Amino acid sequence: MTSIPQYMTSKHRECDDYFTEAESAVAKENWSEATGKWQQFSDELALHLTQEEETLFPQFEQATGMTAGPTQVMRMEHQQMRALVQDLDNALNNKAKDEYLGLSETLMVMMQQHNMKEEMMLYPMMEQHLVNGEQLISSFEQS
Amino acid sequence: MNISGLSFNALPPIDLPFRYFLTAPLFVIFCGIYLLSYGDSLWLSRWTTGMLTLTHAFTLGFISMVMMGALLQLLPVIGGVGIKKPRFIATTCHMLHCVGTCSLLLAFNAPTLWWLYLAIFCLTLSFLIYIVALIQVLIKKLSQGDSVIGFRLAVFSLMVVVLLGLGLLSRNLDLTPFGLSKLTLLADKHFTNIHAVWGIAGWGSLLIIAVSFQVIPMFHVAPSFPTRIKKTMTWFVMLFLISYIFFPVWAMPLLFVVHAIFAFSLLSVLARRKRRIIDTTIRYWQFAAIALLLSNAIYFFPESWLMLTNDASIFHNLAHKKELILAAIIIFGYLVSVIQGMLLKILPFLSYTHLQQRCLMDFSAMQYIPNMHEFFTKRQASILFYLHCTSSVLLLAVILENQFYYFFAVLLIIEFLYLFFLSLKTVLLYFQVSNKISLSSKG
Ligand SMILES: [Fe+2]
Ligand SMILES: [Fe+2]
Repeated sequence: MTSIPQYMTSKHRECDDYFTEAESAVAKENWSEATGKWQQFSDELALHLTQEEETLFPQFEQATGMTAGPTQVMRMEHQQMRALVQDLDNALNNKAKDEYLGLSETLMVMMQQHNMKEEMMLYPMMEQHLVNGEQLISSFEQS
Repeated sequence: MNISGLSFNALPPIDLPFRYFLTAPLFVIFCGIYLLSYGDSLWLSRWTTGMLTLTHAFTLGFISMVMMGALLQLLPVIGGVGIKKPRFIATTCHMLHCVGTCSLLLAFNAPTLWWLYLAIFCLTLSFLIYIVALIQVLIKKLSQGDSVIGFRLAVFSLMVVVLLGLGLLSRNLDLTPFGLSKLTLLADKHFTNIHAVWGIAGWGSLLIIAVSFQVIPMFHVAPSFPTRIKKTMTWFVMLFLISYIFFPVWAMPLLFVVHAIFAFSLLSVLARRKRRIIDTTIRYWQFAAIALLLSNAIYFFPESWLMLTNDASIFHNLAHKKELILAAIIIFGYLVSVIQGMLLKILPFLSYTHLQQRCLMDFSAMQYIPNMHEFFTKRQASILFYLHCTSSVLLLAVILENQFYYFFAVLLIIEFLYLFFLSLKTVLLYFQVSNKISLSSKG
């Protein structure tokens, strides 16, 4: 059985890997490789954000009664990340290398800062407050 | 874990860290001008007025200044909460810190006591307010990371450094009315050494070590530092710092060794990073690690071997100037390098996030936001790095051959003017875009 922090953290790492591979490919102007990796990254990220917003955050809010606190900030940051992903999509389609690298640097720093708050605070708190954590994760694993 | 009070609402107003980052290079620039006017006699020993001025302009004016500004931003991310009343605290502390540092530098050089009083007053108050504000955050057990421990130890070291610094300054005052005779306070070299070692290896290095455990794996998609290192390194540094008070002779080599271990693991983690894109901040970290290893090599190299050579040139000089060389490599090659590298990341990132948050209500304004490379380019970042490499080499040259001071001072001024220019450019672009966003949301 996997715990919430373990599983969700491993997904962050998986996203990081695709992200870096896409970035290196763009730096080498290997556009087909870049598009493939980028697609994998944005699919993984979209799934991950949805799992948080639609399952984990509501459960956490219910369990703790904190609706306006940390999860709200996390949701806003997800919106910011989605906006950047959109910009990166465009840059990739236009094969605009410098634009892409500038944006990817930005997304990287933003995403890492966000992940750190989740990994160090939010996920451990979820594990503490959600009794059905492992069930939730096994439902994620099957999807 | 205590979850009440956890807000994540992270960012303190951006002009607060900007203030710290913009004033920091100015101290080094003035320092360069001072070097030019002082002449080559400054470099004769650790104890010249000039050398005291130089080290404090760097450590208080640049290193502590940037670290205090960066902590405002880092605490919410690492600890989950920021300091209370950030605007009041940062504004007051920043002003007092600037005035206090300037007065201290003047007090070293001018015989009047007034500068000394002013320095003691301002620095005591600014550090007191800042440390109390930090402690209120750091005593909460919010975070899971090992970094928080390092932060706590670093802040503890800062307290020790400040107290010792005040004690050392008070030797110049007549405290007999308070029942303290000058003799009891007439500390010897050892207290000055403790002040310096705790400042460099405690406040400076502990904070850098703690931050590196977090940011290196994050920003460069590198593996984590080995758990054993993350859990024990900062404690070992603290243990050896405390031992240094009582047994300086055997604690010093241990402090060097523990930093060599840090340098090796830093290099190894960086070498295994997945993000291979060229990044000047990485080169700054590597440069800093190499500086630490070099300082170790020089520290452990037997002095008698240097004296064996007959010709009395560079080797004798090296043995003679060992203390200064080590201080230069550690302060300028290690601490200042890491801080510049971090600034290159923090400045554009802070600007970007703040701008982006202003667009949350008005997504159409997102188009105005520059990406991180538009604040300054990769090329500009690497120019700063090469300037820093060159001035590091010149610093060593000037310690060995004092007459080179002119070149070093000029290069130092150029390097930090350039850093100032990059910071200013970022800040100006930030405000320009910020205005555009305001206009667009009104229109
Ligand atoms: Fe998230
Ligand atoms: Fe997440």
